[in-house]
Amino acid sequence: MRGPVMKIEDIAVRYGDCWSIRSATITLEPGVIHAILGENGAGKSTLLKAAVGFAPRVAGTVRIEGGAGAIGMVHQHFMLVSAFTALENLVLGNEPTGSFGRLDLAKARREAEALMEKTGLRVNLDARTSELAVGERQRLEILRVLYRGARAILLDEPTAVLSPLEAEELYTTLGVLAEGGATIAVVTHRMDEVIRFAGHVTIMRRGRTVLSRPIAAEERSDPKRLEDVLTRAIMGGEPPPETSPPALAQDAKVALSIEDLVLVDAGGKRVLDGLSLTVKKGEIVGIAGIEGNGQRELVRAAAGLEPGVAGSIVLDGARLPAVRSTEDLRKRRRAIAVVHEDRHADGLMLDASVGDNLVLGELGEIDGPGAEAALITRRIERFGVYPPEPARRAGELSGGNQQKVVVGRALDRIEASPERALVVLGQPTRGVDVGAASTIHGAIVKAAEKGLAVLVVSADLGELRRLSHRILVIHRGRIVAELPPTTSDDVIGRAMLGMEDA
Amino acid sequence: MNDKRVRALLPIVLAIAGGILLFNLIAFAFGEAPASALRVAFEGTWGTPYGFGQVLFKATPLLFTGLAFEVALRAGLFNIGAEGQLALASLVGALVAANLPASLPMPIALPIVLAVAAAVGALVAFVPAILRARRGVHEIITAIMVNRIVDAILPWTFSTVLGSTSLRTADIAPGAALPRLDRVVPSFAGSAASFAFPLAVVIVFAAMSLLDRTRPGREIRWVGLRPEACRAEGIDVERRMLLAMLLSGALAALAVSSTALGYKGYYELGLGAGAGWSGIAVAMLGRGKAIGIVLAAIFLGTLEQAGLAVNARVPKEAMDVLEATLIVLVAVASRVASKRTGVVQAADPEPEPPRDNPAPTPASEEARS
Repeated sequence: MRGPVMKIEDIAVRYGDCWSIRSATITLEPGVIHAILGENGAGKSTLLKAAVGFAPRVAGTVRIEGGAGAIGMVHQHFMLVSAFTALENLVLGNEPTGSFGRLDLAKARREAEALMEKTGLRVNLDARTSELAVGERQRLEILRVLYRGARAILLDEPTAVLSPLEAEELYTTLGVLAEGGATIAVVTHRMDEVIRFAGHVTIMRRGRTVLSRPIAAEERSDPKRLEDVLTRAIMGGEPPPETSPPALAQDAKVALSIEDLVLVDAGGKRVLDGLSLTVKKGEIVGIAGIEGNGQRELVRAAAGLEPGVAGSIVLDGARLPAVRSTEDLRKRRRAIAVVHEDRHADGLMLDASVGDNLVLGELGEIDGPGAEAALITRRIERFGVYPPEPARRAGELSGGNQQKVVVGRALDRIEASPERALVVLGQPTRGVDVGAASTIHGAIVKAAEKGLAVLVVSADLGELRRLSHRILVIHRGRIVAELPPTTSDDVIGRAMLGMEDA
Repeated sequence: MNDKRVRALLPIVLAIAGGILLFNLIAFAFGEAPASALRVAFEGTWGTPYGFGQVLFKATPLLFTGLAFEVALRAGLFNIGAEGQLALASLVGALVAANLPASLPMPIALPIVLAVAAAVGALVAFVPAILRARRGVHEIITAIMVNRIVDAILPWTFSTVLGSTSLRTADIAPGAALPRLDRVVPSFAGSAASFAFPLAVVIVFAAMSLLDRTRPGREIRWVGLRPEACRAEGIDVERRMLLAMLLSGALAALAVSSTALGYKGYYELGLGAGAGWSGIAVAMLGRGKAIGIVLAAIFLGTLEQAGLAVNARVPKEAMDVLEATLIVLVAVASRVASKRTGVVQAADPEPEPPRDNPAPTPASEEARS
């Protein structure tokens, strides 16, 4: 099944008045994994969408050998019906039917099994889709694309939701498909994946393809150098300096100690199941884990937003009282700053101005419009929020700048608080590009230098490794391993899956 | 700048022109020479001082109810209970006003009556407000039910408690009455426009400015935008919702100033009815701006008065159809208008000359991310 050659020449894509792609040229050939890299908003996802015809193209040509029907796309957010079985989702839109349009599931099953046999991608066809693990759901998406007869597969950030082991498995599968002659293109933020698995790399910057070339085998032997070359191309200049955690005093006192935290959700599941950890003053502790293992609840419990939580949170030697009123919450907020992982749900008001967002919850402490304007200007400058206009609607900012607003508000506020003790950050740089991430990392390190205890929950192991003094692994609502930041992906990944020998 | 304004206003002008055309068609269908019905409508509203006074009179309660709806809307709440809030507040307010000593001067009597009415309005709004804030019961459902309860209570109060067969209260004390505008503008003579109109305009501007500038006002708006984020940052979401809803009820109740106090001199069953509903349209057309609310209220007041003016020639039902159609047209047009200006603003920073060899520093690049 040789895949089609896709030639995209000098295309431009515009949404409203905003250019998503100014000029992009790329040739995708079958046989290798094509990686597409770039900052947020550089136009990577749009490039894929333009290839399958989803994006409003205003110029340029897209030529596909054998017609557009041969291409399938796996979106960043899966497009599966969660109430269906895997088999039903697999054939959705291309259902084999008998007389009078009757669904022929037996035939569907035969075809699906033949396909799984051929590709080596396995999914439990009878399981309800909502019960499948994230990795399985992704395999299901890929199978669905293949089932439709696609010989070219475009994937938009497929590994963002996967554990390291699952990601490796995915690339192995994609490699096999590519060797079998399929055309594969992957958009990703993770440099290490590109270096290990891609045979061809394309880099986009601000709506243009700035680099598109094969990766030679000998380049892989010097990953550091290759990474440097690619980073320069992505940033359009020198890469930002790497952050590292500040020196930690030997006799640093314990600032935060969480003991035996238990939280039972509405369905009776123990989402936090006896979680305990400590963080010292000035220490940055990273929490690694596969999504949905209690990270979100841990952050919310520390913030005081989970009234049903049992166990104790001790801060600077004093046990925090349960939060029963907004007054309690405000009190806790004077000692703890929290950044929630979903900035759109819990952090930002997209329809309010940047200025309003930067002082959300603090009007009681600021005296006068003059002081407020000064505070807003200071925060915008300190975190490099772009564009630096307090009146601009937050929803008009890019994801990276929105995150700067949320993190900036939390960190700047807590550093000025006389009762400051702890910062808890959930996914501080998720979906944020290298430049903004570097600003945010710098601010986190600075907070630790000022003596705050810092807890960082992240799905990005590279981030945790650069920032943390220690990495704790969370699995099914409890801490299952404590590892130094030098630990390999493999070992951390096994611990994240709850394997004993970690 | 001017060009942008014109572009923004054009759809609204077109919508009104469309409405005038529709009006002519309706008049024609009822056997009137189109232009003559239009002339009657114009003379009955903006064409004569009396007509204009009547427009202001019709617009006054809508200013209060429109503002009331806007305040609740800022907190993300739909206060469709203004009908009931205004009705009960009018009754209690008029009863208090009727029982004040006749010698009480206006600077004392009027504030007392308005305060009582506002308190009653807030009290009626308290039921849906507390149920929403504490228990999450949807305020639309509870407000509809409260409206029905008030609807039932009023006639019963008149007939049983007050023992009145005419379904009206006694005349209010002179100190509680708002004087007519024709005292200062003699050409308004005969129209029912009272000092309630300037009072309403001042309250609209003052309230909107307070909502934009003060801590409670801003927090109300933030709570309406994203309650989860506000809760996480320590804002008392329940209290802000409650405050917005009580304010809304109190403001709706102040419309009594233009009906019982400024016009009739007593309250009778059904006085001011419908203002609560029209207030929703006023707030929607006003788009969150004080001047918008004032213009929208005058616009709806004009339509109401025009309907009365041509009533002899074209049936009132036809005018109701026209009124509803015009509101929809203007609502659509103002959406289109605001979208246009929105895009123009967003586009400002973008148009950037294409550069083929950009060599920005990392810092500037990072800032743009």
